[in-house]
Amino acid sequence: MTEYKNRSMIQRRLIPSYIFLTIVSFISVFPLYWMITAATNKSVDVARGKIVFGSYLMENWARLNQLQDLGGAMKNSFVYALVQTILALFICSLAGFGFELYHDKKKDFLFGVLLMAMMVPGVATMIPLFKMMSKLGFLNTVWGFMLPGISTPFLIMMFRQNSRNFPIDIMEAARIDGLSEVQIFFQMYLPVMKATYAAAAVITFMNAWNAYLWPRVIMTDKKAQTMPMLIANLAAGYTVDYGVLMLGVLFCSIPTMIIFFVLQKQFTEGITGAVK
Amino acid sequence: MKSKSVTAKQERWGWLFLIPATLLICIMSFYPIIQAFLTSFKTGSSANMKWASPIIYNYSRMFSDKLFIRSVVNTFFYLIVQVPIMLILAILLAQLLNNRDLKFRGIFRTCVFLPCATALVSYSLIFKSLFATQGLINSILQALHITSQNINFLGTAGTAKMVIILALIWRWTGYNMVFYLAGLQGIEYSVYEAAKIDGANGWKTFWNITVPLLRPTIIMTFIMSINGTLQLFDESVNLTSGGPANSTITMSHYIYNNSFGQGVANFGYASAMSFFVFILVAILAIINLKVGDTRD
Amino acid sequence: MKKKLLSVMLVGAMVASLAACGGGSSSSGGAAPAGGESTVAAVTSGGEHTLTVSAWDHNFNIPALEAAAEDYKANVDPDFELVINEVSGSSDVETAITTGGSAGDYSQLTDIVLFQDHYIQRYVADYPDAWVPVEGADIDWSDFGEEKLSYSMIDGQHYGVPVDNGTAIFAYRIDLLEEAGYTLDDVTDCTWADWIKIGEDVFNKTGKYLLSMDGDGNDLPYMMLQAEGASQWKDGEPFITENETMVEIINVIVEAVQKNALYLANDWSDYTDQTIQGDMVAGVMNGNWIIPTIEQVAENSGKWEITNIPTLNGGGGYAANGGSSLYITSNCANVDLAKDFLAKTFGGSTATYDKALKDGGVITCCISAGQSEVYQEGVDYFNGQPIYTDIVAMGANVPVVEQSDYHYSCRSLIAAAIINVLQNGYSTEDALKEAEDQLRFEMGL
Repeated sequence: MTEYKNRSMIQRRLIPSYIFLTIVSFISVFPLYWMITAATNKSVDVARGKIVFGSYLMENWARLNQLQDLGGAMKNSFVYALVQTILALFICSLAGFGFELYHDKKKDFLFGVLLMAMMVPGVATMIPLFKMMSKLGFLNTVWGFMLPGISTPFLIMMFRQNSRNFPIDIMEAARIDGLSEVQIFFQMYLPVMKATYAAAAVITFMNAWNAYLWPRVIMTDKKAQTMPMLIANLAAGYTVDYGVLMLGVLFCSIPTMIIFFVLQKQFTEGITGAVK
Repeated sequence: MKSKSVTAKQERWGWLFLIPATLLICIMSFYPIIQAFLTSFKTGSSANMKWASPIIYNYSRMFSDKLFIRSVVNTFFYLIVQVPIMLILAILLAQLLNNRDLKFRGIFRTCVFLPCATALVSYSLIFKSLFATQGLINSILQALHITSQNINFLGTAGTAKMVIILALIWRWTGYNMVFYLAGLQGIEYSVYEAAKIDGANGWKTFWNITVPLLRPTIIMTFIMSINGTLQLFDESVNLTSGGPANSTITMSHYIYNNSFGQGVANFGYASAMSFFVFILVAILAIINLKVGDTRD
Repeated sequence: MKKKLLSVMLVGAMVASLAACGGGSSSSGGAAPAGGESTVAAVTSGGEHTLTVSAWDHNFNIPALEAAAEDYKANVDPDFELVINEVSGSSDVETAITTGGSAGDYSQLTDIVLFQDHYIQRYVADYPDAWVPVEGADIDWSDFGEEKLSYSMIDGQHYGVPVDNGTAIFAYRIDLLEEAGYTLDDVTDCTWADWIKIGEDVFNKTGKYLLSMDGDGNDLPYMMLQAEGASQWKDGEPFITENETMVEIINVIVEAVQKNALYLANDWSDYTDQTIQGDMVAGVMNGNWIIPTIEQVAENSGKWEITNIPTLNGGGGYAANGGSSLYITSNCANVDLAKDFLAKTFGGSTATYDKALKDGGVITCCISAGQSEVYQEGVDYFNGQPIYTDIVAMGANVPVVEQSDYHYSCRSLIAAAIINVLQNGYSTEDALKEAEDQLRFEMGL
């Protein structure tokens, strides 16, 4: 009885939170709703700001497929982004683990040096990187696409920072139990840090999926084109068909949303796990 | 304390773990940076670059370039206005969503995060349509009798900057919130329970517990945001094309125009401007780390 | 479930990272276990009957290229195949040449590229190794408009074969003109001063602007200047503040905006989507490639007609805006085939141009091809007016004016100057002075 009362009181106190979150959620979602309705409308209506569903979806779909190889671009984007994510997570978490849990002055210095890499505008390194990839024969390959994006100071920093919450005493205990450093990484660090991995995976995948400038330079063959490039092609020219474009944009957004939905569970579990 | 218990062998492993990442950064970032640095002292078309005379030509040119200076001013305006608003909003949202008593947390969290799952191309298009002269925002404002005629949001310098800032907040708040949530998760929930028993209200908990404990994450997101804003590109290109009359152009946009955007490639000059940005970000990041990192 | 996911990711990571470590020079072929088939061969082709071409705009240039490929296949070489590499815009082709030039490696270029007329001179000068002239191709050059060829001829050699025609049109909504008490004759051969009066009336009676323009990349001053036979350049240097015609034109534009005859949109998409497709205007003036955009508004079919451009002193003006041509790159393995293909299609084939017009709305600047039956048909959307023949005829009147590699820089700076006058209280002289200074700075003068 008292517990029930208590609970309803807590909920009452949360009313401002609910209102605030509802407003924020609405603002966040509304433009996406608009995007979805646009995919079902004629271009002229989209340009005039129609915000309800129309009946032009099938026409837009047919036109999209007639103009572009949607399946090919989806597959390319998916493969590139997945490979980049897996490699980036592995290499950067290893480094974050090393930097924080074997922390000393020299490593701090090295970290500071690596951090500098984050600060140069991508535009500046594009030409030298293009030359390099062209010499290595990596143009139009997954390697050319992802190599510059695997080891990022940002991900290393994220793992390093979040490693501060890693219980160091358990590591000592594990060493006494005879686990090697590599085993500690795989058997202890990895499971404990899963929420960080999930967040890192979402972010890396999204960055790789949405990457545009670099792929545009390095993927010169249409067969290697990614989803953002496909959208850019749809948006090209003197007359843009907004219905078709928004349908393309929708397809481009779905995978990143799914990835987030899937890995969101990891977050929730991670949070729940931390309490117990 | 840590170092005492680490043996030589463990020490060696500690370094080994760093090798792949360090090597890749050296090849993929530092080597090209050095190349770009050399380029910043050259002039001419990309197929036939020559050393500039005087050697600092591109650098001296930069400071007499009114458009570049305007782009620097614009970028700092975005930085100063947008980053604090966005980060505070993100921490606040993370804090609210970390409350276990809150229902529909999953739904709220998903909604707030969704914007950053949309491709950059699309979100610019969306904002452009919403704020168009005959767009939805204008219709709403008139329906509510706040304004009496259509406002050309993207066609006037002040409001165009405002739209860019709103768009940035919309797109990136959820992104930063993810980090805070991941960081909050490292804080024992019992700390909050204890605070609640002590009678601390929401704001007290926020300022006295959340913010200090999230400090490492806050520093990280701050550096990220500074870096992201100083390299701001897509929004300037896609939302306003830098206009009206270059009043919203950013540094990266201007650099891009000089390297790829306007047909006449000037890599030497673009590289020189890139280095200026690099130095700016480095200075800001170092200040940030010094202020924030109290561990040593 | 979650454990499985993580372990799958880990195994993948290890396999892939092993491959990455062994990467370097040896792995370009084999080391793509995860990439699979997406590791595609270069875009170039060595086939005897195959050519590759880069182009943008699937509603415009690409249908024209498809038409040409079909024509060549049907009438010359049944084994011919044209592989179209679609890119997102002219800047992609420019970037490919810039990056290729910096790496000293043009092997990523397609055999033929579509290239913007205004930039080609500079790109041939800066990257001479990237191009192959089309000299020796079987083309009757006298059959093309002189103005168009002035872009693609470099040092007396032909480098490009024209595709489309940038001749400017001024299209008017006849119904709205009538509503305000005017006819098409009133806006044909008229002066800009008269035109502004008409524009004022039209706006007051119908609420529509007589003209809109992209205020960001403003095409208007350039076209108006060309219609006067004047240029923004003189002997390779900017000719702006000293140029009386230019000053007069800017004043006309400012007055037209202030009197609601002209509406300046924020950027290109605002221009096409809000002002034209959003039905805000009673007139459109631009390169004829704007026609498909006008035609998007189906309910206004039959209400439009086209005519020439007003001038400062009256008498019809003619101008051109935009347009591109096809160029053979040095990466082309089969130059003879490329030349033959271009000569027998865009060099003057009625079959190519008729289909290009039907499928993409691409209007030729080849005079003889513009006399075909298809061109002489009346167009329902334009009240039965045979606009294509009219446009080809107008194209022959476009005066050749001095051009520059800094065309687009100049255009955007002049656009900024106009906004400075309208919004920021500058005088025309001061605004133009600022634009000229910045332009001279960019050009290193």
